[in-house]
Amino acid sequence: MGLQELLSTYGGMYGQALLVTWRMTVVSYLGAMALALIVTVARVSPIAPLRKLGDFYVQVFRNIPGVSLLIICVYALPNLRVVLDYEACVIVTTVLVASAFGSENFMSGINTIGVGQIEAARSIGLSFGQILRHVVIPQALRSAVLPMTNLLIAVMLTTALASQVPLDPPELTGLVSYINTRSVGGILPFFVSAVGYAGTAFLIGIVGNRIDKKVRILR
Amino acid sequence: MSADTISMRDALYEAPGPKTRRRIVIGTVIASIALVALVAAVAWRFYITGQFAPQYWEFFTKWSTWNYLLSGLLGTFEVALTAGAIALVLGVVFMLGRISKNKVVSTIFRIVIDFFRGVPSLLLIYFFFLVIPAYGIKMSSFWMLALPISLTASGVLAEVFRAGVNAVPAGQREAALSIGMSEGKVMRKIILPQAVRFVIPSLISQLVVVVKDTTVAYVVSYPDMLQNARVLITNYDALVSTYFVVAIIYILINFAINQASIYVARRSGTRVISRNQEDPV
Repeated sequence: MGLQELLSTYGGMYGQALLVTWRMTVVSYLGAMALALIVTVARVSPIAPLRKLGDFYVQVFRNIPGVSLLIICVYALPNLRVVLDYEACVIVTTVLVASAFGSENFMSGINTIGVGQIEAARSIGLSFGQILRHVVIPQALRSAVLPMTNLLIAVMLTTALASQVPLDPPELTGLVSYINTRSVGGILPFFVSAVGYAGTAFLIGIVGNRIDKKVRILR
Repeated sequence: MSADTISMRDALYEAPGPKTRRRIVIGTVIASIALVALVAAVAWRFYITGQFAPQYWEFFTKWSTWNYLLSGLLGTFEVALTAGAIALVLGVVFMLGRISKNKVVSTIFRIVIDFFRGVPSLLLIYFFFLVIPAYGIKMSSFWMLALPISLTASGVLAEVFRAGVNAVPAGQREAALSIGMSEGKVMRKIILPQAVRFVIPSLISQLVVVVKDTTVAYVVSYPDMLQNARVLITNYDALVSTYFVVAIIYILINFAINQASIYVARRSGTRVISRNQEDPV
């Protein structure tokens, strides 16, 4: 099957699949960022159980394989009478895993600031809220741009897990096996999907780098 | 969690006065109660759906169960280590191509690296599973899993190695060139040995990604731990307990790998360059 024939038969589905991948990526990323923020706040709070819980959360979800988590969501949770649809399960899985890495990024952003700056801020009389607003958060966000860009790409790659559940319309990875079961696949259907992923990753990388160059703190 | 994580966390707050201390105590109590309530709610879910019934957990006391899971785990390790070893070699080759003085070569390798870093390993596994056999190439399920995983990992490792090479001070290269060493010899004798030392902790932590990637082994029906768990589930009809136990085993293994990389990093005084910390372009 030539490229033209492939695109005339499945072109519309590829477009849809790319949109599904993008949609799941954006939704998961926003969810992951929100959750990462909450977890990070818990991890730097002065309340010991919250810190421990935050650390525990991060260790669990940065180390669990996505497939294992997805399987629990799809097959085990219904046995506990918690039923989520397939796409929700993929997004929940991605959000949980990505938020753990996101919180790690925030933490290392905070850690690069250095104890001395906090001490200096306090000695000129800034309150706790002012220290956070004027010293910690701006610097932590700036140095987190590049890691968070990479996380966005990782989130996109993680949504490929959706090919393991029946999804209609399928996303980029699921579409490849869909086409393969219907017509002689060959290398092309795979390659078109791969270009969809790699092209998106490339664009994300360019935008992220540009933002980083603008806001990076030179040390 | 390094020592400075703790200090930075604590540096955010002044030494608490009596009022703050009281507030912290109250917060601690509330948080603890909420935490206990959360655990209780989860346990209650298990209880009302009958998932604590002994039939679901009893078989974990049998040696045969663990024997079977461990043999799956062995399969996991075999694939992960093989894929890791191939990725190491490919990673160095890709990196050398990427930093080549020849513009054409470096552009080609840059595209190759970006491609493998920007494509999900699942897609590559489908490629080896569905496409390669269609061209008449026979491959065992082991290689159908190990090769795609090593390819995705090699893209990341190439960038890790490049970060290591960049970490070697430029003056050393210049000094070596000025005493008459060739470019190739400088790379082999001066830069690579140091670069590899810099990135060893990062290489160890990258093994976590490889182990995670092996969990899709059921796609090519290779008997890894998750695949063997599925067989256990059909034998004992104990889906929830088995999946949870297996997930915990994976978490512990990956946690151990991460701790090992932190330990090595601390001992050698280097930093872990993680998947999220390198430059994407």
